[in-house]
Amino acid sequence: MSLSLPVAAVLLFMLGSALAAAVLRDVVGSIVAFAGYSFGVAVLWAFLRAPDVALTEAAVGAGITTVLFLLTIARTTVSRSERFEGISLRSGLAVVAIVVTVGATVPALPPVGAAGTPILAGDVSQYYLGNAYDQTGVTNVVTAVLVGYRGFDTLGEVAVVFAAGIAMLLVLRREAFV
Amino acid sequence: MSERDADADASTDGAGTLTRPAAERPPYVESTIIMTTVRVIAPFVLTLGAFVMLHGASSAGGGFQGGVIAATTVVMLGFAFGIEPIAAHLRNEHLALLVLSGVGTFLLIGFGGYLVGGNFLQVSGYESLFHHGSKYSIELVEVGIGVVVSGVITGLFFLLGTGVETTRDASEPETEEEP
Repeated sequence: MSLSLPVAAVLLFMLGSALAAAVLRDVVGSIVAFAGYSFGVAVLWAFLRAPDVALTEAAVGAGITTVLFLLTIARTTVSRSERFEGISLRSGLAVVAIVVTVGATVPALPPVGAAGTPILAGDVSQYYLGNAYDQTGVTNVVTAVLVGYRGFDTLGEVAVVFAAGIAMLLVLRREAFV
Repeated sequence: MSERDADADASTDGAGTLTRPAAERPPYVESTIIMTTVRVIAPFVLTLGAFVMLHGASSAGGGFQGGVIAATTVVMLGFAFGIEPIAAHLRNEHLALLVLSGVGTFLLIGFGGYLVGGNFLQVSGYESLFHHGSKYSIELVEVGIGVVVSGVITGLFFLLGTGVETTRDASEPETEEEP
């Protein structure tokens, strides 16, 4: 996939908001920039034709996480002395090292949307795409895999969310449940 | 990190307190614009959440996304009308019951697979009960997931918004031992 103009704009927006989230001294401004970054990721998923992931990223990453961050920040003291964070030489070098290391793996990935990628040409993916509707009666293959074929994994995920919620009530509120 | 810490200590005059006392927190301010907007938008957001939850079988969406969108309704109401009055209506026991019912729905569908002659969570077995049985059971599972997610997120929002009660066990240490 060649880099189209909208995708390039979204990538540029993501880069800018990521830098703003890291560099801004004001914590509230940093949180807002982080929400903008999450929204950019969601739009990028939508461009890459992964609407299920885009919806999750927009709702959880850009929406609820921002609200929870803001609520937490409202309970702490915020200093607004300077506009930008001072970046030391050491942390700058660490960031450059991480970016170079991770970026070195990018050429090893297949191009986006290539027909020969293992995830697309593999037997399992083709089996799901071919049989999902006949076996589960569901037109969205993502849902068919999540609940129909991999229902046990999803049950585990729900159990994790459930356990986290109950633990949160017990620890933070000391609920008795009598 | 170290220079930031030194900076914070200098600016707060060495107070060293991380959490702000309740009296100094920004109070809830009643805003007509926000209240009116939320009153108009909230039903639509809840409808969108239910749609995403129920329509996950035919389009993008599902229980996780729909549950978060449905919980956003409560978050919006909390911002418009104050978190404490909303939290007083939806008590923690209700939220725990809601979350439990979601997990129960999922497990019920799972164990029901044995009754219709299949294995655990084998939704294709429901096809023998009625037409499109596997599709409807998948959608029921999605609704269960959505109920769990929305209940947990609402509880997290209330707990962070109304504050953590830490004074009770500090003043009465004995009550913890009694069941």
